[in-house]
Amino acid sequence: MSKVVLEVKNLTKIFSGTFSLKKMKRGKSTVAVDNISFNIHEGEIMGLLGANGAGKTTTTQMLLGTTEKSKGKIKFFGKDFDKHRQSILQEVNYASAYTQLPRQMTVYENLLVYAKMYQVEYPKKRIAMLLEQFEMEDYRNKDIKSLSAGQLTRIILTKAFINFPRVLLLDEPTASLDPDIATSVRKFLLKQQKKYGVAMLFTSHNMAEVAEMCDRVVFLRKGKVVAEDTPEGLAKTIKHCSLRLLVGDGLKRLKVFAEGRNYQIKVKEREAEIMIKEEDVASFLNKLAKHDIKYSEISIDKPTLEDYFLQMSGEGKK
Amino acid sequence: MNRARIGALILRHLYNFKHRTDRWFDAFYWPLMDILLWGLTSIYIREASADMPNLVMILLTGLVFWQAVWRSQYEITTNLLEEMWSKNLVSLFATPLSVYEWMMGVVLLGIVKMFITLSFSFLLVFFMYQVNVFKIGWLLLPLIGLLLMSGWYIGFIVSGIIVRYGTRIQTLAWSGVYLLAPFSAIYYPVKSLPLWAQKVAKFVPTSYVFEGMRTVLFEGKMDLMMLVKSAGLSIIYLIFGGMFFVWMFNKSRKIGLSSVE
Repeated sequence: MSKVVLEVKNLTKIFSGTFSLKKMKRGKSTVAVDNISFNIHEGEIMGLLGANGAGKTTTTQMLLGTTEKSKGKIKFFGKDFDKHRQSILQEVNYASAYTQLPRQMTVYENLLVYAKMYQVEYPKKRIAMLLEQFEMEDYRNKDIKSLSAGQLTRIILTKAFINFPRVLLLDEPTASLDPDIATSVRKFLLKQQKKYGVAMLFTSHNMAEVAEMCDRVVFLRKGKVVAEDTPEGLAKTIKHCSLRLLVGDGLKRLKVFAEGRNYQIKVKEREAEIMIKEEDVASFLNKLAKHDIKYSEISIDKPTLEDYFLQMSGEGKK
Repeated sequence: MNRARIGALILRHLYNFKHRTDRWFDAFYWPLMDILLWGLTSIYIREASADMPNLVMILLTGLVFWQAVWRSQYEITTNLLEEMWSKNLVSLFATPLSVYEWMMGVVLLGIVKMFITLSFSFLLVFFMYQVNVFKIGWLLLPLIGLLLMSGWYIGFIVSGIIVRYGTRIQTLAWSGVYLLAPFSAIYYPVKSLPLWAQKVAKFVPTSYVFEGMRTVLFEGKMDLMMLVKSAGLSIIYLIFGGMFFVWMFNKSRKIGLSSVE
């Protein structure tokens, strides 16, 4: 097993309520992150998933020290973050779809400032190489304000790689990118992971992306870790698959038949979608034949990480 | 012209006024400051009208010296605001940059920019009004140094409030320093202030600097005790201002720096 580069133990964040002058008392405290623990190994990409407000961004911000933790321990490369913040951050970087860069400065000026912040040797060479990797060489001397959202995201990713990070915290890094650019960014990230063993903590709302990128996923709900597994492992916890049939004759009978057996069924024009356990599919189709229900097309969609996400988020709302 | 739309627009700005403390500040603070500062200056001019040539020199030198205080505090506060407006604060403090390094950076930047502003102002008053600020002589250096320190402590206190409460009180970046203006006796002597204000002025380091500047211009010399008093107060306030900024910055980290951007 490779080395642990990030160790999070019992991490907790409680936001105190604000004082209300009207009520003359402090509001209720909110537990945003509740006693979570996880490790990330060298070269591993770990996904941090959860619905809005689950505690993903707060966790990321605590790992960077820009939000103070209430309790718990954070260790990067075996060193305590509280005691070695500066030396740790020298080897860590961060990109988020929600941050920006000074708008009136050019791409190059911004990147040079960050290169100097991290004391990068040969900054010009590093910037040129990264701009080429992210296909942004033509924008080197353009003002940040003139960039589109997708171009800005690529520059923020360029900034994230400027210091040869060993750990990268990526908060929805491909949000607002065109699909082709998002694909090339994902390829670049995977290449960095393989070539340099860069470990990444990855949050995204694109479940297909998480499934493609992440070796392991931690699922947060209301600040707590509710599951931790590979993306496939999490998807497999959903027992039902989706059976779609384009029904020719017997649509009403199919509905009665499925509902009579407590299968969830949705009908749209001639298409029926039945949620059914994978092992029951064969016998179900057999029975349809016996009931003379005819269909011309059939597809079976196995559960995905997205289904898992929807199920878990739905349970959270309940 | 549609009355409903005009009404809606007024309503939009009234809502803004309700939620933005800085707009309240603008409504009351600036008139108060202007009336205080220029009212006191007018009284002084009325009483000292026999000495008009010196008065022009005093007013202009005061104006130029005030630039040093304003510029050095403005540099600190606007540098912070720039990061907040650009949503760059989190990215910046996610690097190894420490809060002390940030403070040192803005102070050094302030010195450079103040030097440029003052040089320009000195030349401007010389060529336009034939007022030579260098008449003050070697005392110019400690006097400017003390004004710079005052700008820094005000800058750190104001920045501390902004970093904790966010851009909704950004108007403090421009106006905070003017709170000291009436008590700094920029254009008039401390003795022309009301008695209660004279007591306040004793605790304001810039009042000694402007008072000293006037005695140098009138008498060609200055009581060095004034410099010592100003330096003593400035050092105490600067230590307090710096500590206050760090304390507020850490309080802001408790709620998350991203929440104040």
